[in-house]
Amino acid sequence: MSIALRPIWHRPAVVATLLLAGSFAIGSAAAAGKIIAPSAKIVALDFDVDNNALFKAYSRTLYLSRTEGRDWEAIALPNVINRGHITSISIPAKSRGVLYVAGPGFGVLRSEDDGRRWNAINSGLPSNDVVALSSHADQPETLYVLVARRGIFRSEDAGSHWRLMDTGPRAKVVQFVHSNMPGSMQTGWLFAATARGVSRSMDCFCGWRDAGALGRPVTAVAYQRAHPKEVYAAAKDALFFSADGGEHWSPLPSPGHNVSALVATPAGTLYAAVSSGGLFRSADAGMTWHRVDE
Amino acid sequence: MVNVIAVLSGIVASATFADAVTPLSDAALVSAGRAIYQHSCASCHGARGEGARAWQQPDRRGELPAPPHDSSGHTWKHSDAMLYRIVQQGWRDAFNKTERLTMPAYKGQLSRTETIAVITYLKTLWTPKQRKFQREESRRQPFPTGAP
Repeated sequence: MSIALRPIWHRPAVVATLLLAGSFAIGSAAAAGKIIAPSAKIVALDFDVDNNALFKAYSRTLYLSRTEGRDWEAIALPNVINRGHITSISIPAKSRGVLYVAGPGFGVLRSEDDGRRWNAINSGLPSNDVVALSSHADQPETLYVLVARRGIFRSEDAGSHWRLMDTGPRAKVVQFVHSNMPGSMQTGWLFAATARGVSRSMDCFCGWRDAGALGRPVTAVAYQRAHPKEVYAAAKDALFFSADGGEHWSPLPSPGHNVSALVATPAGTLYAAVSSGGLFRSADAGMTWHRVDE
Repeated sequence: MVNVIAVLSGIVASATFADAVTPLSDAALVSAGRAIYQHSCASCHGARGEGARAWQQPDRRGELPAPPHDSSGHTWKHSDAMLYRIVQQGWRDAFNKTERLTMPAYKGQLSRTETIAVITYLKTLWTPKQRKFQREESRRQPFPTGAP
């Protein structure tokens, strides 16, 4: 693929060098250290298992914390982010330094160096209207993206090639996550937060089915890697927990209204972002919550 | 019916012996596979691979009924390796309320060639686009080699 079709974006510090070298550099949209107002909505969370680091994304910015959410450093993103907005971030397992950011308008971006440079990996996708993205729980080169009005595409080579696998659940999907829960015909499962609850499919894509009977719009879904049958789902004013892969759900105390993003760490810590801007942490499986970003 | 099966079993048995030297033609595999399907699979998956009624919803026992193998189902999404494994080892849905294998294991009942034959027959029930998809899925996950 030519450089023109697959531009590389760099942090400001390295842009000049690359421009001299003739690369197509666009510069940085999100300057390091930019202050985010507490009221801004966090749209996505993910946890880097290898580096024990938490990531949060706002509409057009990305941040990293190595201190359980107390301190944050900005990760510069290319200006192409301004063509749309972020809906998903994903840090693949066993793949040090690799980050993915996705959203409608710009598609999927990949960095292999902790966010210093970014590549667009949309070649083979029908459009840049990427609604959601998840990396495979165990296979770092395998990615899944939902493209609006088309369905779920899979790549097994870190975004070099994409393949339409499925039209996705019938209900509108807002986010999904690949899970290493056992019992799949293939390698795992996909759990989707939809307008009608949580939907679940084996990753061979042989049918989406309702996971339990939440029967309400779900805004975020997450699971516990070390105990993958443990699944969390956020609805408008409630948080739910399932110990059996989504068959049955029980309510948990919610950290606030409209949870917009959820992630569970291998150590069992849960993070939840609420749409009014706060980030909350629970060390007891969602029974109590403490705000971490004040 | 028994006689037909016996004759076809003979063909397949011969084919098993000859497989290592002279692979069966697709037509012979399809023919043998069709007979095996009608004998061993059709009672659950339907004579034309149409699947059980309401196969997408658990039945009264809490088991997912047998899915279709024709173009309306999802069999075509699975690689050769996965289909082979399911035929040989059986399958139950992870969320069935019972523990039994709803898809019985045919290991010991169907040889490697017979298993490949029945899967080859299933491929005739799919659309060209589905066959292409399945062929590509099977590139990384082909039929196992050396299996009995």
